[in-house]
Amino acid sequence: MIKRLFLLAVGVSAAMLLLVSCKQKQSQPEQSSRKIAVVISTLNNPWFVVLGNTAKERAEQLGYQAVIFDSQNDTAKELDHFESIIAGGYAAILFNPTDADASIQNVRRAKAVGIPTFCIDREINANDVAAAQVLSDNYSGAVEIGQYFVKKMNKKGKYVELLGILGDNNTWNRSKGFHSVVDNYQQLEMVAQETALFDRTKAEEVLGTILQAHKDVDAVFCGNDAMAMGAYRALVAAGKADSVLVFGFDGAKDVIDSIRDGKIAATGMQFPKRMARMAAEQADEYIKGKRDFEQKVPVAVELVTQENIAKYTAYGRESEQ
Amino acid sequence: MKKALKYTAAVAIAALLLYSGIYFEDLSQVRQLRQQKTFDPSSYARDFWDNQLAGILDKAVDVEELIELFNTNMAEAVKRYGKAPGVSRVYAYLVTGEGQIVAVGEDGLLVSVRDPADNPDAFVTTGLYVPGNAVRDASGLVDVSKFSDTMKFNEISREINKIVVEEVIRPFMNRGPKVGVTVKFYGATQVAQDATEEHFFGELLSNDGTEKEFQLVTIVPIRLELKEP
Repeated sequence: MIKRLFLLAVGVSAAMLLLVSCKQKQSQPEQSSRKIAVVISTLNNPWFVVLGNTAKERAEQLGYQAVIFDSQNDTAKELDHFESIIAGGYAAILFNPTDADASIQNVRRAKAVGIPTFCIDREINANDVAAAQVLSDNYSGAVEIGQYFVKKMNKKGKYVELLGILGDNNTWNRSKGFHSVVDNYQQLEMVAQETALFDRTKAEEVLGTILQAHKDVDAVFCGNDAMAMGAYRALVAAGKADSVLVFGFDGAKDVIDSIRDGKIAATGMQFPKRMARMAAEQADEYIKGKRDFEQKVPVAVELVTQENIAKYTAYGRESEQ
Repeated sequence: MKKALKYTAAVAIAALLLYSGIYFEDLSQVRQLRQQKTFDPSSYARDFWDNQLAGILDKAVDVEELIELFNTNMAEAVKRYGKAPGVSRVYAYLVTGEGQIVAVGEDGLLVSVRDPADNPDAFVTTGLYVPGNAVRDASGLVDVSKFSDTMKFNEISREINKIVVEEVIRPFMNRGPKVGVTVKFYGATQVAQDATEEHFFGELLSNDGTEKEFQLVTIVPIRLELKEP
């Protein structure tokens, strides 16, 4: 009887060890791999196209073969990409996450098989999974926009806020930075706050509907430039483009051009090219052996207005192009 | 043979039962989850203000010296005293000094810290709210990498700014500061590294006696007191 029990215990232990090791052991990336994956949340927005292309170009300049994956703002697609990347033996991932929480597991999965991930622009809500994260300092940028908004509105008036994707930290960092200033002025009244998913067409639809109920809006604060352009189109359709101030966030080409043309009041210049280059260079350093990266590196967002537009170009400053 | 099959089946079932009842979690993941659930920006800001910030105020640079350095050698000012949490053209500075109040406005005091005493060079914020990250960043004490998400990092600023308004600005304004009186301060300022490309800091008359355009160093106060005559 004792012998049987002993045999059983040995058998169970062996089976468990086998199961655990099967679960943990996955394919390791080839040490000599020269492939870098660039995973972007969506390529349906020119700003992210610039982010992805710049990351790819910089990785190629550094001697790697780089491939762009489009997650189409879908965490399931993003997961598929990570599985392909892991199976494909990539050396590193330059990653613009779709969701600050849901994307963590993908980064963790890559880390488990030794593939480092470098987040760009958007963060994941973890500080020990990615190798490093180069992030837009959205909150501080939105504080600056808020201060300029108050000045242009002369501390009073009605406004609409168009939010981005609700699961993205950038949406809330921008909104909270803006409100940390604007909410201190009682005569500035937010008549509507709706999500338009960072999407131009959606923003046009959403603001069009809002304008039917609120005909006396003085300004629209948009969580990104795509929505600012959509909002501007809705205002043109409603015959209000000259009387309503539009504020964006990104520094995309069409909004920079529109600020220059006096159509959009201001935006927050993020630096997609700068961030993408930094992430690609970090990946290169990692592959060459460096490990001590700052986990989170905020990149300042700068206020671009009709007064200082001469210093800026699409996606950056005139001086760094 | 039958026995062998029986044992194999028993082992497989027992292993499956045990395995499904046991799961492995990354300890750091558990800790991070706990931090996310328990993080209180208000308590963090209180500890920062009471126990950390007070201990580094002796490192504050004299604002008069800093203004001279901004106007003559910005790169040196950044190198010696500037702090930024990441990549930025804007640096934060912990400052101290005293000066004569030139004007009392709705949002702040115009203060002259250099001679002649009626030309302003600083704007000390004393309005109903304080925006931004000047105090947090000038301290250099809060590391963004320690936080699982940057919203927490930003919430700390919001709470610090509340303390500034409630415990520094409001009591000071209740004392009724007046033009001509000297104010002593510790504070934080943020200045872009190309800020002097167009205008220098502080009003000073040119040699021919005409006024030149100038800008002010905006200071978020950490300590404010009126100097008795």
